[in-house]
Amino acid sequence: MSSRSTTIPHRSSVSSTTSSQPPQTSHSQSRTQQPQRLTAQQLAERVISPASILFPHGSTPPPGRDRLQAQRRSPFPMDRRHPSSFQQLEKLGEGTYATVYKGRNRQTGDLVALKEIHLDSEEGTPSTAIREISLMKELKHENIVTLYDVIHTENKLMLVFEYMDKDLKKYMDARGDRGQLDQVTIKRFMQDLLRGVAFCHENRVLHRDLKPQNLLINTRGQLKLADFGLARAFGIPVNTFSNEVVTLWYRAPDVLLGSRTYNTSIDIWSAGCIMAEMYTGRPLFPGTTNEDQLQKIFRLMGTPSERTWPGISQLPEYKANFPSYATQSLAILLPQVDQLGLDLLGKLLQLRPENRINAQDALRHPWFQDLPDYVGQGRVQVSSSLHQPGQLGHQGVVPGGYGTQPGLVGPGGY
Amino acid sequence: MAGNRIPSFGSDDSGYDSGIVEVFDEPGPAIKTADHSKEIARHRQHLMASELSRRDAEEYQQDMLEHMLKMDIETMPDVDAIDIQTEIQWFMRPYLLDFLVEAHSAFQLLPETLFLTINLLDRYCSKRVVYKRHYQLVGCAALLIAAKYGDKKEKVPTIKELKSMCCSLYDDDMFLQMEWHVLSTLGWTVGHPTVDSFMRLAVKDNVYDPETESLTLYILEIALYHRDFVSKQASTLALSALALARHILGRPQSRATEFSSRYCSTTVLELLQKVGEPSKILSRKYASVRYSGVSRVLSNYLAQKAAMSASAHTPITPTYELTPPSAAAKPAGPAYFRTYATPQKPQFPSVVQHGLYTPPITPEGEMFGVTQKTFNAPNQYVPPTPTPNTVSHQYSSQYPATIQQWSGETY
Repeated sequence: MSSRSTTIPHRSSVSSTTSSQPPQTSHSQSRTQQPQRLTAQQLAERVISPASILFPHGSTPPPGRDRLQAQRRSPFPMDRRHPSSFQQLEKLGEGTYATVYKGRNRQTGDLVALKEIHLDSEEGTPSTAIREISLMKELKHENIVTLYDVIHTENKLMLVFEYMDKDLKKYMDARGDRGQLDQVTIKRFMQDLLRGVAFCHENRVLHRDLKPQNLLINTRGQLKLADFGLARAFGIPVNTFSNEVVTLWYRAPDVLLGSRTYNTSIDIWSAGCIMAEMYTGRPLFPGTTNEDQLQKIFRLMGTPSERTWPGISQLPEYKANFPSYATQSLAILLPQVDQLGLDLLGKLLQLRPENRINAQDALRHPWFQDLPDYVGQGRVQVSSSLHQPGQLGHQGVVPGGYGTQPGLVGPGGY
Repeated sequence: MAGNRIPSFGSDDSGYDSGIVEVFDEPGPAIKTADHSKEIARHRQHLMASELSRRDAEEYQQDMLEHMLKMDIETMPDVDAIDIQTEIQWFMRPYLLDFLVEAHSAFQLLPETLFLTINLLDRYCSKRVVYKRHYQLVGCAALLIAAKYGDKKEKVPTIKELKSMCCSLYDDDMFLQMEWHVLSTLGWTVGHPTVDSFMRLAVKDNVYDPETESLTLYILEIALYHRDFVSKQASTLALSALALARHILGRPQSRATEFSSRYCSTTVLELLQKVGEPSKILSRKYASVRYSGVSRVLSNYLAQKAAMSASAHTPITPTYELTPPSAAAKPAGPAYFRTYATPQKPQFPSVVQHGLYTPPITPEGEMFGVTQKTFNAPNQYVPPTPTPNTVSHQYSSQYPATIQQWSGETY
């Protein structure tokens, strides 16, 4: 069907919401139920618009709450997938948009993450959910958390995700030395991160909310991008977007300056901030306000001017009286980073979006050369040899990165 | 409300509508100093944005295009399945589309949202039996989903607004149910690459030419009304419409190496056959300055073309196969449109079910036929080819019957 089908598994049927390989064996269940004969009405429900609309005046099935019962009993696979097929375990995180639980598939015993989205009875399915689900269905990649299933019930939407052990923030706290990770792990994580980002960009998706809390680590030590609640499809040429995106600390300077025509470089800046944070264990630019954030960035990177960044003075939030700082050397702030690492970091953290390296080129950077599956050598395979499952503690730390932190709830953006 | 929509240098959200390019549309009546510097700012920002696009394009265009083409095929409606629908018929389509086009403009949604809406609608209709009385509801649900997917939160229509647009024909609850039913029927795959995204990709290396872009969009929106283009790939359709627009405007076609040269000449001809009789709603929409008044450009072009062929040939014996008016009134099968192809909704007085039509009352009956050779139906600007007046009267007098039947229905 298309040349990409080698990298992206095709779904056989568009009408099923199930993604390629769900871990649960609800399929076997569906097979046993398949042979049942359908009544004429069940058949009708199957092909026709919602039953309750079809029979609005209480004929059959009755309107109101009962119709939901009817849906549950109805024979479509869609409706048979019920929340009860998962055992709900502890809560992993909560926000205004969603709550995430650890869950267990009752059939297989596999762990999953269940993201419950509360449905607004006024306005229906939230736009964040529509974007997140539809974009994640397009993005099947080993460095992007897999969405297995979408279950719709009376007043909530439940997304079933692959279970990940913890998020990067908690991983650093739990494993690192005062949050600092070792060089090999950082390199591995950066490669995973950039691969995930590159894949998003190739598939015309901007993540727009990269931060340690949204990067999840599994027990094999693989890093995957999660929480696409702020993600958006983009086009060439770039569209105009909301600049209310990305958690402040990881927000690119051009966006802070009010640019609304950002592109893929917005995710690259975040990746740079995350790289530095893995070395130090602390956020690189922990600003408190938009302006403070810019100041913290300029203090390190130097205050840009019309000369170093032509056009900057035309950006809406540009102030001629920004305190002027000289550029500091990253090596002084981050003495633990090797020369090649500093070179890559410098390319990720360019003030001007035009100068920021793209994810593909970053992956070809010689810093990654000593990793076993360096793309520059054309070897692309998953290798988790550096991360023995036993290394990671299972207890006590839970991932929060499926998109529940209060701070990241779609700030009115799109 | 509509005023805000017209991009000008002073307005805050100019550039939002259809991308940054809009910035150059209208210099505004009196440019004050403040406005002037704003204008410069916008211009500079535009330049910076183009630079960003260029860099993105360098690295990602090929991958993105591949992905878009893959999604294009994955999200294609099945026109044969829609043919099987028992209640909804192709002749109803122009009514629903007029409604959706107007709603889309009223809510000031992005251009791509309209195309996405119709794609969702058609994909749903390819999979589910839709009753006539729910057709409009499905259309509204599709519009709602498309807006939530692509538009700013503030622009997304509320259920209350949609309900009042439908004259409270449906309850709030029905919109919500239909919304999720559409989503689950489509397996939550919303990301259809719209025709306008392919068009923008195709023109990105050219000097910005609002007239060509508007005319292309106009042609593409006219195409939405026709069964013939429902199962066409968005990429093919977009490039063919662009080629036709360039031809009409006398712009050079792209070189054979460019992406935009990959149009399909059959599709170009098919489009040319259909553009003669746009919906009144569309031709009015595209008559505005914002769209460079391209509907006038198009009709002038067609008029000229008709005049030329009228003088060049011996008067064409009207081989028009005129639709018997009764055929329009009775539920016509798909075969009807395969042959006559232009589902023009009958023009009728202002009393309408859904309360949204502004009444263009003039009957435009003479435009029903299409000659095989010239592709141009003569339109009102031209002294008609031999058939005309009697026919047109015949039509206009026949319309009321159709209308009465229509206004008795709820859909």
